[in-house]
Amino acid sequence: MSRLIVAFFLLMAGGSAPMAQQAAPPKPAQPAAQKPADKQPAPPKEAGSLKFAIIGDSGTGSSAQYAVAKQLIEARSRFPYEFVLMMGDNLYSGSGEKDYRKKFEEPYKPILDAGIKFYAALGNHDNSNERMYKQFNMNGERFYTFKPKPGVRIFALDSNYMDRTQIEWLEKELSASGSDWKVMFFHHPLYSSGETHGSDDKLREQLEPLFLKHGVDVVFAGHEHFYERLKPQKGIYYFISGGAGKLRKGDISKTELTAKAYDTGYHFMLIELAKNSVNFETINQDGKVIDSGALPRFSDADKKKMATSTPTIGPR
Amino acid sequence: MLRLAIVMLALAVPASTVPAQEKFENSPDARVLGDFKARVEKYEQLRKKADDSAPPLKESKDAAKIKDAQQGLAERIGAARVGVKQGVIFTPEIATVFRRLLRPEAKEKETKQALQEDKPEVASFKVNGPYPDKEPVTTMTPNVLQALPALPKDIEYRFIRKNLILRDARANLIIDYMTNAIP
Repeated sequence: MSRLIVAFFLLMAGGSAPMAQQAAPPKPAQPAAQKPADKQPAPPKEAGSLKFAIIGDSGTGSSAQYAVAKQLIEARSRFPYEFVLMMGDNLYSGSGEKDYRKKFEEPYKPILDAGIKFYAALGNHDNSNERMYKQFNMNGERFYTFKPKPGVRIFALDSNYMDRTQIEWLEKELSASGSDWKVMFFHHPLYSSGETHGSDDKLREQLEPLFLKHGVDVVFAGHEHFYERLKPQKGIYYFISGGAGKLRKGDISKTELTAKAYDTGYHFMLIELAKNSVNFETINQDGKVIDSGALPRFSDADKKKMATSTPTIGPR
Repeated sequence: MLRLAIVMLALAVPASTVPAQEKFENSPDARVLGDFKARVEKYEQLRKKADDSAPPLKESKDAAKIKDAQQGLAERIGAARVGVKQGVIFTPEIATVFRRLLRPEAKEKETKQALQEDKPEVASFKVNGPYPDKEPVTTMTPNVLQALPALPKDIEYRFIRKNLILRDARANLIIDYMTNAIP
């Protein structure tokens, strides 16, 4: 039986990352999953879990985007994700028919043909009418929410234009979301160690109080053309995944925010929301696992404690 | 006693919780901002007519249809606004108030930085012309949006350099703009 389990984890690791023990749940307010990337377990495919993938800043139509897309497509055979979240900048430099084709439909064709849904958020390079494109599943709206399975609620925000209408909508939707896993995704990161952009302080002033009040669990963003897993901030896990088509080499200035950073290659992410943890694997354009781990879901009581703790805020 | 209690309660409400629209309706600039609102509403009605007169922009799997609908809408709006010049909404009086509303926000370091990031590289633009499709849109920080009157759905504020643009997001059209909106 144990051999079977070992074989299973080896398969999950894609042969590129040595199998390791699952990370022990960290104490509240402590950085989670601190082991080196090559010691991390791959997402374990827990029965009944929700599996999805993340791509950010993908829409260049470049060979790099296609290389990442190829890995994303291949990953599905060992990790059957149900949908893909797009962090924005889905179509750079235009939104004509050719742009949709070259920067979205062609690179992801096999998974689109397999019926895998993509859910997009808008980035600063996107035409807001991308919300009308059915394959982005935005229902014609700049911001929206969906429930992929009982117990999980996902919110897509338009961080380019955080007006009062959107904030009021978010507050209402969060209030109604009960004890579900609450996953946010949008373009601009609230916390970042990027030199070019850095943390979006103004956006954080607006959103973080709502996230804390309503117990948001995980936040994904793009905009920065690299990968960064941040230390949990006030009981919320933050990831930046903005390198599925663009790369800003050497842009990360590692700060006290950083749990893991990667800015030397393109990447995408695989996510599993299990009953009590968020498991992740980040893979580069060559199929190499550059980060992975299992982060325990914080209890409401822990979140409350951490919400009032001093945040770790890096320089902008 | 009751009046005193009401006054005290009103004073206890932090400024940030005052509904955005109410904040403007009760300000000394209410008349000018009311004029702005009326001009925007007039545009909105015009767009509605343009929207109703042809197949509307709606969800589609066909990207070409989306683009065609966007362009068709822009053309119909343009035809209905022939001869409209800069200042049709941002009159000199309205522009003066907007500059004053924006100044404190635009002075903040983070806001300044955010508004200058990813700014569109556009040589020229005009009223009734398209917002440059190949360029990024300036991210509007929440504090800047809260400093300005709210807009109807799919009409938005953007910056091109120091110019504040009023943009129709459905038609990707520049409705109007004001110069030197921020220092």
